Amino acid sequence: MLKARPMSRLFIAASKEQLEPVIHELYRHNLFHIDEFVDQTKEGYEGFRIGMPLAEASQASSDLLKIRSIASTYMVNTDSLEPGEKLKSHDLRVLIDRDLPVIEKETESLTTVRSALDNEEKEYEQKIELLRPFASIPVDMDLLRGYQTLSVYAGYVSKDVDLDIPNERYYSPSKSSNFIVLIVPAEQRAIAERALSDAMFQMIQIPEESGPAAKAIENYEAHARKLKDELTIILGKVEESRKKHSDFLLACDELLTSDVEKAEAPLRFATTDQAFVAEGFVPTCEVNNLIDAINKTTGGKCYAAELPVDPEHDKVPVEYNNPSFCDPTELIIDTYARPNYSEIDPTLVVAFVFPIFFGLMLGDVGYGLILLILSLVLRRFFKEGDGARLVKTLTIFSISAIVFGLLYSEFIGFKLFWEPLIFSRHMNIGGEGGGGAAIPELLVTSIWIGVLYITLGRIFSMINHARNDHGSHRTKLVLGNLGWLLVMWGLLIAIWAYFSMPLMLDLTKMTPIVAGINPGAITGILMIVVGVIFIARENVLDVFELPTIISHTLSFTRLVAVGLSSVAIAMVVNYIAIGLIIKPQMEHLTAVGVIIVVAGVLIFIVGHLGNAALGLIDGALQSLRLNYVEFFTKFYKGGGRKYNPFGMIRKFTED
Amino acid sequence: MTLEMIQASQVGLKAVGAGLAVGLAGVGTGVAEGGIGSAAVGAVAENKDFFGLALLFTVIPETIVIFGLVVALLLLF
Repeated sequence: MLKARPMSRLFIAASKEQLEPVIHELYRHNLFHIDEFVDQTKEGYEGFRIGMPLAEASQASSDLLKIRSIASTYMVNTDSLEPGEKLKSHDLRVLIDRDLPVIEKETESLTTVRSALDNEEKEYEQKIELLRPFASIPVDMDLLRGYQTLSVYAGYVSKDVDLDIPNERYYSPSKSSNFIVLIVPAEQRAIAERALSDAMFQMIQIPEESGPAAKAIENYEAHARKLKDELTIILGKVEESRKKHSDFLLACDELLTSDVEKAEAPLRFATTDQAFVAEGFVPTCEVNNLIDAINKTTGGKCYAAELPVDPEHDKVPVEYNNPSFCDPTELIIDTYARPNYSEIDPTLVVAFVFPIFFGLMLGDVGYGLILLILSLVLRRFFKEGDGARLVKTLTIFSISAIVFGLLYSEFIGFKLFWEPLIFSRHMNIGGEGGGGAAIPELLVTSIWIGVLYITLGRIFSMINHARNDHGSHRTKLVLGNLGWLLVMWGLLIAIWAYFSMPLMLDLTKMTPIVAGINPGAITGILMIVVGVIFIARENVLDVFELPTIISHTLSFTRLVAVGLSSVAIAMVVNYIAIGLIIKPQMEHLTAVGVIIVVAGVLIFIVGHLGNAALGLIDGALQSLRLNYVEFFTKFYKGGGRKYNPFGMIRKFTED
Repeated sequence: MTLEMIQASQVGLKAVGAGLAVGLAGVGTGVAEGGIGSAAVGAVAENKDFFGLALLFTVIPETIVIFGLVVALLLLF
């Protein structure tokens, strides 16, 4: 907790004959994060080269390529299927040799037929499209071409064309465009073309068909229908094959992916002609088991040993080490940056504070229930991965909103049956809302939350520096952080000495001792002076950052401000929908009144749904921001490497 | 001008002040966030890993409008 999972450095060296069994053992355990060998000039590694893939790599890759191509034809992917009974990898290998060529052939023939039918259908559709304008012309298509003494024009015009020369004309006007077919003697075509161009003529090609166009269209449509029927049958067959093979394909994909990864592992190791060396990281609690397993597989012919970890120079991979309920929060931390191996991991703190901040802002039983229903619905669509983690976060948010709603006694802007258990946020809107909101108390509470949260951040920073830095530098950094705390608390105490505020200490009653200044103010001022000295000793330029103490603390007032604006919108919607529209109509209900009441109900629903959406987005973003900006900037560096062990969690196959 | 009128106009001016506090602070935040936001979207389009940092930078000026909102609330209630 509050720290990444402890890691150990594992060093493995053996002769090349042991390469394969060691790789298999490492892959099976799925624990070894390979520290890739890239630097061939590294000290102690002179003469080593990057290894060559194992012999089976190319066969496995080409098989995998085939499987993936078939799988993409059938649109099979791991998300589309719930893992059922696991297949034995030995049986599967036999099946791959026997069945894969057959399935490949079957798929190929199906796709060939399907694309041929697709193409043919498209061809017919194109022909129909070309013929469509001629459907209204009562002349056979073969009569529109093949003349030497006549010129035929077909196309769209903006208006009808009137000609003095002998001509035959078919004009079919329509709303969007007017179609014309014009036949004139060839020697007078110039006159016709001029008239046509005046009418904005756009020529189209005359299709090479015979008989009336309408009949040809009918004929082609019949063909296209027949093709469509055939295509449906083929698609049915594709679906059938998909159902039949999807288990097999996914299992093959998994098995071959693991084969390829194993075969390509030597590319990440350092090798010589006779030997290889692999370095990497393993969780400390597992390192001895893994060493034992490797020794057992190789019969003691491999040297595997734990090396000391140097967090400053080794890029130690980071695996979270939190209780399982923190899982959704880890996504939020990862979005900012994964913690460094040696610094404090704030996930556990954020896991509690993030939903509490959200609840403080939204705090309404009604909106909480809307979000809870939304999250339960979304749960059906997102079963695993980041989506599922976000949905879990939403569920926690909604529960927090409901709990705070009960404390605030709020239900979509209305008061529940009891007085608010903490502070009232019911404002006086439209003459309703009782005694009004306890604004000063709420604001002071939010300031308190800010002061305490920032103090926690600074304490974390002091611990981080005390652990990871050395000598006088460490003292300066730790004292620098203490300085920030002294200035913040000194300022607070000095304010207490002059102003009396609710929920804060009142030091105004203290008797002044020097020049009208009371002991409270003196303590505060002393703390500020000492604090500024500590900050300046760490870095003089940081003194210019002093105003951030005030701005960061006041920034926490958003917990109240955003919440109150959400309450205000809810109450305004209630007042407009019920107070101004529904209630007056219900007193003397008429036929028109019923419609107005329905409109009022609509306003009520749309208003509250919109406010719930706003509350979700605003609440989540502001809460996230308080963590990212006001809390993390005090101590958190991030930039750790993700722990990515060599291996795979198998879903469809087993050894 | 009677005392009631003066009192009523004081209440009205308070409301105008509250409106100005939120409105002007909102404009300020909008101007600031506009520039940062467009740069942030560009950075995220290049590399998705910047999302957290981009969000952080974008919401930094948000504090201004929250201060406006707090001042407005203090004026009104």
